[in-house]
Amino acid sequence: MVYVTDGSFEGILTAVFEAFRNREDPEEITLGGDFQLSMTAGIREISTDTEKSDRVWRGVESKISKESLENLYMAYLSEHPRVGLYIYRYIKLGLNIGRKVEGYLQHPDVHAIYDLSRRVGSEAHLFLGILRFKKLRNGVFYACYEPDNNITRLITDHFASRLSDQAWIIHDRKRDILALFNGEEVIFTSGFPGIDHEDCEGEYEELWKRYFSAIAIESRKNPRLQRSFMPRRYWRHLPEKQL
Amino acid sequence: MKLMDKLQILADSAKYDVSCSSSGSSRSNRPGGVGNASLPGICHSWADDGRCISLLKVLFTNVCIYDCKYCVNRSSNDVRRASFTPDELCELTIQFYRRNYIEGLFLSSAVIRSPDYTMELMIKALRKLRHEYRFNGYIHIKSIPGADMRLVHEAGSLADRMSINIELPSVSGLKLLAPQKDPASILEPMGYVRERIMESRELVLYKKPQPFVPAGQSTQLIVGATRDSDLKILTLTEHLYRRYQLKRVYYSAYVPVNDDRNLPSVNTSPPLLREHRIYQADWLLRFYGFKAGELLDEGHPNLDTHLDPKCDWALRHLDQFPVEINKAPLEMLLRVPGIGYRMAAKIIRARRVGPLGFEDLKRMRVVLKRARYFITCNGRYYGGIDLDSGLLYQLLSDKTDSKVMAGQISMFG
Repeated sequence: MVYVTDGSFEGILTAVFEAFRNREDPEEITLGGDFQLSMTAGIREISTDTEKSDRVWRGVESKISKESLENLYMAYLSEHPRVGLYIYRYIKLGLNIGRKVEGYLQHPDVHAIYDLSRRVGSEAHLFLGILRFKKLRNGVFYACYEPDNNITRLITDHFASRLSDQAWIIHDRKRDILALFNGEEVIFTSGFPGIDHEDCEGEYEELWKRYFSAIAIESRKNPRLQRSFMPRRYWRHLPEKQL
Repeated sequence: MKLMDKLQILADSAKYDVSCSSSGSSRSNRPGGVGNASLPGICHSWADDGRCISLLKVLFTNVCIYDCKYCVNRSSNDVRRASFTPDELCELTIQFYRRNYIEGLFLSSAVIRSPDYTMELMIKALRKLRHEYRFNGYIHIKSIPGADMRLVHEAGSLADRMSINIELPSVSGLKLLAPQKDPASILEPMGYVRERIMESRELVLYKKPQPFVPAGQSTQLIVGATRDSDLKILTLTEHLYRRYQLKRVYYSAYVPVNDDRNLPSVNTSPPLLREHRIYQADWLLRFYGFKAGELLDEGHPNLDTHLDPKCDWALRHLDQFPVEINKAPLEMLLRVPGIGYRMAAKIIRARRVGPLGFEDLKRMRVVLKRARYFITCNGRYYGGIDLDSGLLYQLLSDKTDSKVMAGQISMFG
């Protein structure tokens, strides 16, 4: 059976709930309606129901662990096509053996969750460092990025406490997700076209580029090492990597 | 002079300082202030040499009264000189910070007029940054050897980390290459800072804490400017970690910048691989429970550049291998070549749930390239060779040096 969800975390947890209730092992739990049709499997449409998803949420928290719940959520943010299924199988196993499941890394589904959640966590950490704000003419700071994983919600708290006296926007252009900070709270929205280059001041960007080139030691040049920390796909939004 | 030119000069002359760490402090933001410190530290970019950029690393001035032979800013060198004003420095730091280019400021300086005078200038700038500009981000200040302890104290209460560079690993090296510097002027403030740090932690118990370099102190040693052996360097390192409780010792492969008969010639390339091996050994001292005397001794005073120091140690202690992955205590797992801290922790967690076979390790993405020769899984050996056959050196040595450099973990963080 293929379970088709709306792609939300609550949707996946609802699917987990339904699988338990129907006593069946789904072959797939999709993130949204875009999936490969199978010749043999039937389709079950899952309509997200927060009452059901809350029950699964609380069940994981109390019968497995809070840490597991966090890892499952982090893994979900990877948007990996099979993550719905991994989540279901992890929960099923965890309800059986309890919090021991966290360490059961020789199990392929547990390792998949571990791996995905780490991938998401490390990309979020990376972007605490390599997200770049431009100052717009109206005084607002604007950062545009295209992360592999859906990490915007993981990084906004950090910037809200650090840059608490400036208005800023963080824009995931790939997913059309926008986080707005007005000095008080972060608001999430979408439907933003982006910013024209002419709307930004460039003085400090020039100083930063100069600093970036001055700080490297010529005789130690090592582009491979540089790319291993800061992969090329992220360069588009880094002023220091624009010539 | 334009700010752009000053930045060029004062960043260029600060670049040989390795430290860029922004970890160890959890200073929080205040209402109306800018910034906070992140305990694990954050890297903001990686320069073309692959080193991480976390802090705005600049000299306050590169005008120097000293004539140290290894230094690009020595007084007899004909280089462009510049100095920041406190406001220029504060504005740069804040504006870079607001755009998330940096985690904070690393302020060092050449010695202008006198150590005390220099230190006072730096303190003045930091005070302005903390109080007028209300900056709560990370500050690393370089203490100037020979400055009064009162000034060291004041700098320490404004900064998150302080460092004093030893630069040359032996007194004889220091006498030869930096005759105007007194070795005691380096170790004395280090001892002083250590005392103040311990004191500030005690005070926390019964009154409002006065933070004093909460992220601790560090230092830097130049590798390859003198003839000092790796044994000498690592023994000094061990002493510094133990006696002065330094957070980090950094190593900097000497980049020849001056012609002098006591130095390697300007055409010598920096000994990067040696520096890399010393970093690996430093890691073994700090996180893997090794002692300097286990890795090197008088008969074996330098690290093998073809082998990582853990492999080198294991090859000389084959009697302790192979170890059973399901039984070995953490300390022994950490001594297996190819098994790092994270993998060891993973193995220990997983084997609590059930016994681990070779396939399980693969599934857990334990890197077995080197480890396979040194372990058994449920009593079975998968190395495929006779441990004593003498083949191991060939199998474990790095084929190309460039590969080592590109694959290295973050040594500068």
